[in-house]
Amino acid sequence: MVEMKKGISRRSVLAGIAGGSAVAMAGITGFPGILKAQEKSLKIGAYGGYFKDSFDKHIFPEFTKATGIAVESVAQPTGEAWLVQIEQAARAGKAPTDISMISQGMMQRGAAANLWAKLDAAKMPNVANVMPAYINKYADGSLCGVGAVTWYITLVSNTDVIKEAPTSWAELWKPERAEQLGLLALVSNSFLLDVTAKTHFGGQDILDTEEGISQVMDKLAEVKKNVQLWYRDEAQFEQALKSGEIPMGQYYHDVAGLAAADGHPVRSTFPKEGGINDSGSWAVSGKSEKIEMAHEFIDFMSQPEIQALLSRKVGTSPTVPRAKTDLTDAEFASVSSEIEPIIPRYDMYLQRADWLSQKWTELIVS
Amino acid sequence: MKIKPGKFSDYAAIGFPAGMLTVFFVIPFGIMIAMSFFQRVQGAFYEPAFVFENYARFLSTFFAGILGFSVGLAALVAVVSVLLAFPFTYILTRMARQTQVVWLVFLLSVLSLSEVLIGFGWSTLLSRTAGITNLLVSLGIMDKPMSLSPSFGAVMTGMVYQTFPYTVLVLYPALSRLDPSLVEAARTLGSGPARSFLNVVVPALRNSIVSTLIMVFVFALGCYLLPQLLGKPSHWTLSVLITDQAIYQSNMPFAAAMAVFLVLVSLSLVAISLLYGKKENAG
Amino acid sequence: MSGLVFDSIVKKFGDFTAVHETSLTIPQGKFVCLLGPSGCGKTTLLRMIAGLEDPTTGRILLEGNDVTRIPTHQRDFGMVFQNLALFPHLSVGENIAYPLRIRGGSKADCFKAVKRLLDLVQLPDMADRPVARLSGGQKQRVAIARALALEPKLFLLDEPLSALDAKLRESMQIELKQLQQKLGITTIVVTHDQREAMTMADLVVVMSQGKVHQVAPPVEIYRKPKDAFVADFIGSTNLISGRVSAAGKIAVAGGTLLADDLPKSGDVTLSVRPENIRLTKENGENSLGTLTGDVSYIRDLGASIEFYLNVAGQQITAITTPSDRPDVVAGDSVSVAFPKDACVVLGDA
Repeated sequence: MVEMKKGISRRSVLAGIAGGSAVAMAGITGFPGILKAQEKSLKIGAYGGYFKDSFDKHIFPEFTKATGIAVESVAQPTGEAWLVQIEQAARAGKAPTDISMISQGMMQRGAAANLWAKLDAAKMPNVANVMPAYINKYADGSLCGVGAVTWYITLVSNTDVIKEAPTSWAELWKPERAEQLGLLALVSNSFLLDVTAKTHFGGQDILDTEEGISQVMDKLAEVKKNVQLWYRDEAQFEQALKSGEIPMGQYYHDVAGLAAADGHPVRSTFPKEGGINDSGSWAVSGKSEKIEMAHEFIDFMSQPEIQALLSRKVGTSPTVPRAKTDLTDAEFASVSSEIEPIIPRYDMYLQRADWLSQKWTELIVS
Repeated sequence: MKIKPGKFSDYAAIGFPAGMLTVFFVIPFGIMIAMSFFQRVQGAFYEPAFVFENYARFLSTFFAGILGFSVGLAALVAVVSVLLAFPFTYILTRMARQTQVVWLVFLLSVLSLSEVLIGFGWSTLLSRTAGITNLLVSLGIMDKPMSLSPSFGAVMTGMVYQTFPYTVLVLYPALSRLDPSLVEAARTLGSGPARSFLNVVVPALRNSIVSTLIMVFVFALGCYLLPQLLGKPSHWTLSVLITDQAIYQSNMPFAAAMAVFLVLVSLSLVAISLLYGKKENAG
Repeated sequence: MSGLVFDSIVKKFGDFTAVHETSLTIPQGKFVCLLGPSGCGKTTLLRMIAGLEDPTTGRILLEGNDVTRIPTHQRDFGMVFQNLALFPHLSVGENIAYPLRIRGGSKADCFKAVKRLLDLVQLPDMADRPVARLSGGQKQRVAIARALALEPKLFLLDEPLSALDAKLRESMQIELKQLQQKLGITTIVVTHDQREAMTMADLVVVMSQGKVHQVAPPVEIYRKPKDAFVADFIGSTNLISGRVSAAGKIAVAGGTLLADDLPKSGDVTLSVRPENIRLTKENGENSLGTLTGDVSYIRDLGASIEFYLNVAGQQITAITTPSDRPDVVAGDSVSVAFPKDACVVLGDA
């Protein structure tokens, strides 16, 4: 099994909260990696903590070996703060990094502000391997981002408390789950609207209209009495899940797998409606002067071998079809599933952001 | 020619604190106020503008309820904290010097714990699987362990735990300066120890108590992690929602508007209690 | 036994003994001063009476009843503290009424009592004033009025006048004495000021280093000090050492002095107050009780004149009034007469 640090928030979702943004900023600007005395180099941002550490250890050295381009890695938060940094640096004509790992919501937000450099697919033959769902484009169809890593949020449960593995997201609504669930606290990171739509309304199309979303929310409101913890902090839920305090909920498939491998009574199940598939993309800052090398990097990262390496070493799901990789069944199962995933309606989360967050807060707070 | 002596150094002396105040309070607060009138651009960032919609959105019964809860929670935390810390500090100041130092170092170390650590600690202590109820069960006081968190009681416990050392340290100077002969005088005049504490020590330090209450109140009002870690969503404070808006919804203008409102509400509450205190002193 | 009795009281603070074994009786209705330098244990003694300190061993009896273990608030003794300890949050009237209010006294009773006590301390119509707006002397009177509100069995005062300026202090001393005489209450005052003790006390208890040296009326303390400490602490004196040579005679450097109450033999110390020494111009006579010396310096203070003498190698001070001034100048040889009744034989300190 891949070695991983536990207790560290994988995607640094908490970075903005736990340390306060000052700490997050220090992480961004305070300690740039040591640059090797090589002529060709790239500054690459990765989610601080576990991701960056794994990339530094297993992935970036491979890239340097293959291309001779040195990598200076920068820890970045997943949240808004990083985008604000890029945006403000861009106004000053600078780029804090050449390439960053950007979540889907932020990709679109950045695209709206024209922050990303347009990429040329012709210079990156391997990008053709990447599944279309993980390709980001500007409104005019030009390429602005390529899937970097992808992961699943699944239905997790404590094997001591819940003997039989659940098979469907519908499990969340069952009366016997009263005060047993831990769910992510925010509309934009729990993706529970997508889950509810897929489970109870036959698909995500109902999320096209406000009336439809309201219907989904009403259905979701029925879950409230089952929820013991609405969490923002991954570690808090993970601990409660392991101990059986909160025996069921939604959580990251890969981390749950690691906990199980460590002997904790935890299982992660891909429900028949599919796991929630979220991803981060590589995007090049529009102000970067190293666009050629950036293309080289993204091309390198899109190779099936490298995606397989990521699955093995970092625990992410490949952005290329499984068939192109040499992952064994067991390796693939530890990071992904053949069941068709629920891909969040990022467009909805973006376009109706304020309305959604207001309704959502009212839904769970009241 | 005569030079006015001390003129320049006088200005220099007030210049430093004035500068610090400007840099660390006036400017950030000014930026926040300006930001609160900016136009939010959904799906992107915000644009400089002068619009009231951020405030308009806040003026709803929903947010009024949250604000009321936040203020009430902070007030309750302040009252409970002072109720516990005042007698504690009084007893502490009457202990041997060395004992006091040990306690103060201990309290300082509690104060150095981060909110995250306190939240996690208490959520474990109050959990069904590893919490104190297990102890009560083994002592035969309870039938089976139960989960005490998340709940309002858990939020209160965590927040009071966090503010208690702070409260003690704020009260300590006033209580250790308190003339011990005041209590002795009360005793010679016929007051037992408890009574002289209540009708001499407490009223003699009324002003310290009020200012401590205000400080703890403001401190508790800014607390946004413990309500998340130890409370149900209905116990989330306005600070939690401000954080959500700023960090997760990237709605800086709305977050700023809520923050400005929170600052104004707490300032006016502080002003009211100070005015009331003044009146009481005069009367 | 009537009055306040200390029965073998000892008070230790850790290894430090603040009050050595003391037995003492303070008669009912007297004005008593505990007098001594700072750190002599007088305040500790007073605080033990009030119950603010517990004696390490021994008993305190009042009118024959053991009060040693009775808590302070049940003793009903009025006490005035050195810093007065007026309650800053209460007005003058509320301060004075405090002991009555906590005993459930009605508003009307308190009002009457406050008026009576304020009249007693000559501060009428001050009841509503905040204590912060009183002068030092006024605060003093309020503290006294408050301590007397309960008509206590004992009235205790710890250096009550030390914060006042000299002139006010003197008038307050007299006032306090008159007040005590009017009320007839047993009063114990701690002071380090011997003039204050002389002014007010019926009985002075002289203490140093945790020990009681002498208990006597002020005049007796002055005239018949029991030991060198008392003789020196109360006023100024000449200490002369010698040896008993025969009945009523002491051989000292330069001659022989006479005194009463002498031991049969051995070394003794005499105390002779400067104003009792008689100076005359040297006339060759060297009788018993008279020694020869030189005038080294004369200090004329107007109301009195001090002569600094060298008598057989010892410094002796003599004081006269201007009308009795002998006709001598510095450098003169003089006859120094020590009258028999002025030579007080001291015991061991």
